[in-house]
Amino acid sequence: MATLNSLLRQLFDLLLSPFAGLPSVVPVTAISVVVGVAMLWVYKKTSNQQKIEDVKQQIFASVFEIRLFNDNLPAIFRAQGDIFRRIPRYLSLSFVPLAWMLLPMVLLIAQLQFHYGYQGLQPGQPVLLKATLKPGASLPQDAAGALDVALSAPEGLKVEAGPVWVPALREVSWRLAAERPGSYQLTLKAGSESLTKTAVSSEKNLRRSPIRVGGALLDQLLYPAEDPIPTTSPFAEVKLDYPEAEVNLLGWHTHWLIAFFVLSLVAAFALKGWMGVEL
Amino acid sequence: MAHTASVALPLKPRRASAPKLHAAALAALALALGWALPAQAYVGPGAGFALASSFAVVFVTIVLAIFAILAYPFRVAWRRLRRGKPPQARVKRLIVVGFDGQDTRLTDRFLAEGKLPNFKKLAELGCYRPLASTYPSLSPVAWSSFSTGTHPAKHNIFDFLDRDRRTYLPMLSSTRIGEVRRFFRLGKWRIPRDKPELTLLRRSTPFWTLLGQKGIWSTVLRVPITFPPDRFYGAELSAMCVPDLLGTQGTFLLFTTRPASGKFKEGGIRVALEPPGAERFETRLEGPENLFLEDRPPLSTAMSLTVDRAAKKATIAIGSEETVTLAVGELSGWLSVLFKAAPGVTVRGITRVQVTEIGEHFSLYVAPINLDPEGPAMPISHPSYYATYLAKKIGPFATLGLAEDTWSLNEKVVDDGTFLKQTLDIDDERQRMFFASLDQLKKGSLVCVFDATDRIQHMFWRYLEKDHPAHSANPQTEHANAIEELYRRNDEVVGKVLAKMRRGDLLMVISDHGFTSFRRGVNLNAWLLANGYLALKEGCDGSGEWLADIDWSRTRAYGVGLAGMFLNVRGREAQGIVEPGREAAALKAEILAKMSGLKDTEKGGEVGIREVFDTAKLYSGPYLENAPDLIVGYNHGYRVSWDSATGMASGAVFEDNLKAWSGDHCVDPRIVPGVFFCSHKIDVDQPALMDVAPTALTLFGLEPPAHMDARPLFKAGPLAADPFARKAKAA
Repeated sequence: MATLNSLLRQLFDLLLSPFAGLPSVVPVTAISVVVGVAMLWVYKKTSNQQKIEDVKQQIFASVFEIRLFNDNLPAIFRAQGDIFRRIPRYLSLSFVPLAWMLLPMVLLIAQLQFHYGYQGLQPGQPVLLKATLKPGASLPQDAAGALDVALSAPEGLKVEAGPVWVPALREVSWRLAAERPGSYQLTLKAGSESLTKTAVSSEKNLRRSPIRVGGALLDQLLYPAEDPIPTTSPFAEVKLDYPEAEVNLLGWHTHWLIAFFVLSLVAAFALKGWMGVEL
Repeated sequence: MAHTASVALPLKPRRASAPKLHAAALAALALALGWALPAQAYVGPGAGFALASSFAVVFVTIVLAIFAILAYPFRVAWRRLRRGKPPQARVKRLIVVGFDGQDTRLTDRFLAEGKLPNFKKLAELGCYRPLASTYPSLSPVAWSSFSTGTHPAKHNIFDFLDRDRRTYLPMLSSTRIGEVRRFFRLGKWRIPRDKPELTLLRRSTPFWTLLGQKGIWSTVLRVPITFPPDRFYGAELSAMCVPDLLGTQGTFLLFTTRPASGKFKEGGIRVALEPPGAERFETRLEGPENLFLEDRPPLSTAMSLTVDRAAKKATIAIGSEETVTLAVGELSGWLSVLFKAAPGVTVRGITRVQVTEIGEHFSLYVAPINLDPEGPAMPISHPSYYATYLAKKIGPFATLGLAEDTWSLNEKVVDDGTFLKQTLDIDDERQRMFFASLDQLKKGSLVCVFDATDRIQHMFWRYLEKDHPAHSANPQTEHANAIEELYRRNDEVVGKVLAKMRRGDLLMVISDHGFTSFRRGVNLNAWLLANGYLALKEGCDGSGEWLADIDWSRTRAYGVGLAGMFLNVRGREAQGIVEPGREAAALKAEILAKMSGLKDTEKGGEVGIREVFDTAKLYSGPYLENAPDLIVGYNHGYRVSWDSATGMASGAVFEDNLKAWSGDHCVDPRIVPGVFFCSHKIDVDQPALMDVAPTALTLFGLEPPAHMDARPLFKAGPLAADPFARKAKAA
């Protein structure tokens, strides 16, 4: 999984690099259209188009029946009942393409989330870095018996406060602030073990990793923006609280995923006739 | 710079806030289980489409249903205010099944042979009688009298064709399709400012409109002469005279590598494919005129034909929508044909195709392109969405008025089997829409006309008579029993309807006329020419179609269409020479006397014309002046010839009919009555087709209007017995 994520990171960094300097609505729109087309193709190839058409025709016939026999209450109820009976059938016919799309879409959304889901650190704006130590393991201690966890920040990043140790959460926090834009690498040390964590201060749409997680499969699936934390490390996860980003879709400020949902649906509905797909 | 943790602060433990991705991805997984909202659970258009569409449908239908339920009391109150108290009906449902052209003689024969058990059962429940047709006994005339309860002089339909009095050219008798004259101009595009005016020329009021005025619902399926559709309280699907996409009454196409041997006489266009031995042909399927462009060029869509001679198969691709591979002789299902007229404007049609030969030559038959019922280019139903509803309910169906392509069989482009399959498929479509409507009908009337009986008897009558001239001309015998099989099929329909009858129902099974043989054609124009009533232009031999060769300055009478003859009356016809009044009456009487009893000398003096009728004596009404002056009552075996019907005057007066179209009903109406079966005993000995309309009104408690020429078949008061009450009790 780590190898796959590494390849996908490189691929998406490359593919999305031309859009890095543009407002995020541009790449999100472009990606939505491409994804809409791709998913239409998958839908066409993996679904039973004839059955979908048949069940939709019957549903629409019932809708017309409600309009046509609007003086006939039993006919209205019968038509309504027919619709409710057929909707599950219609949905069930979407499950096969849904199954085909599920994994690729999760991988895609996970990659896109780290390009368009967060803003870069603003210079001078404080942000928390939280490192959680693995539960159950012995705490790294120095010779004096104090907790031996340290953070090294490169030039351009300033550690303003911390560390603060919360024993109940086994969490160490620092307050950081970027002094100028750039892509940085923080180094955390726990005893003799060290771990890096990326930090990005930029207006551009670059990959940002708000969390570096361990090697569990689901964690890797959902947080692929950095390599997983090695199993030998005393750290369970390291989080950097990037502010969330929004897409400006014709004045509507919303999460990129919502915009993606709307735009890809619109694109696909607009193109389904051209591609000859029954939805 | 290194910072070492050394102090523990008593911070309140809290759950780490998960990034938004976590929720989205989990929701995406949840979607797979089918319960999440689409915006949260987006995993691509697949799920989005299904959910968005489903929610939209559920939402819309619930809103519609709630609105219908909430509005119901107000609608009832409004109806009561507008239409008054509903009349006291004597039946709950009136079901009228029409088998166009079902003949009494054949019905009697098959009944006697025990081949029609359900008709027999129906006759035993109620009654069976011959049903008097109209003068002339033609479907458009007869069904118009059926619906309005009037003679033709009151409903204005006398034939399939009428003539333009200014030009003598033929025109449809039932419908006028106007031109669009006003456009907005936008570069090369012209945007029509209004729709072409469609006018139904049938006058008087059909009984379903009168029922609707009293709040009684009717469903009317494919009753002839209902285009454009009537507007009334109910639903109607138009029939006869609905054009194809080319605006004609049915034009088939033949794409062929064979050299042209002239134009088809009726209803077809030959399209050349070149070169003959090729394995792939790129051609175009032409549609209607493009109103959006200045010169109105025909719309067309690409069609590619890939021929596999070894496998005897061909692949036909029409536009980007349809691709079908067919073996020789295999008839396709309905295929969509889309003509793009302007950005965002598509004219939709449906057609069926058949590869008729693959060998040295390749030929492809394309049936007339019907208006697509899902998105018809013209109004073919009331309400306008009714055709769409039916298409969604039962699938695509033929919309063309004369949907069964008799011309292609006449021209031997297709064979008996293809025609039969096409006709029976259309009959299946009709059955599906009829039974779906019957299941929906709670109260009111349902009328449905099945055309297969008419078409199959027209085309297969030759097999009933060994000495029919068309029998040897069309020697295929595989489908020789087609007529009998069709009567049995009708019987099955009657059986299914009987099984669905309920207490308070009344069922009529009727036909508009019977059938007889068409062995010999009578060229009325040739007879008029021979007898000095018609003259030809200098140098013409009378073979010009549509009266092109006629010298009107010397012509007193002429024939066009199937029903009869017209006098060339001064002041009525543009170049009329016969004075109206006494001269016209005398001329009519003269022709009538000479032509009645006309004998076919080639056939041993057999009578070809039994009687000629003066329409002024047959009926009266405001549209009498539009009627042919004389209606010809042919004998069994005779009918107006093909040439005469299209306004030609050349050739002999009598000639053999060699076409597959070998049976007909355009004869003396007295010899081709229709059938009348009813689930209840009637109080009239000799019912007529016209009587159904006033009967329908009285069954629902309405008084027939005074202008109706017919009488109800049941006396006033409650019906004698309800056969379906017994059935309900037994059940």
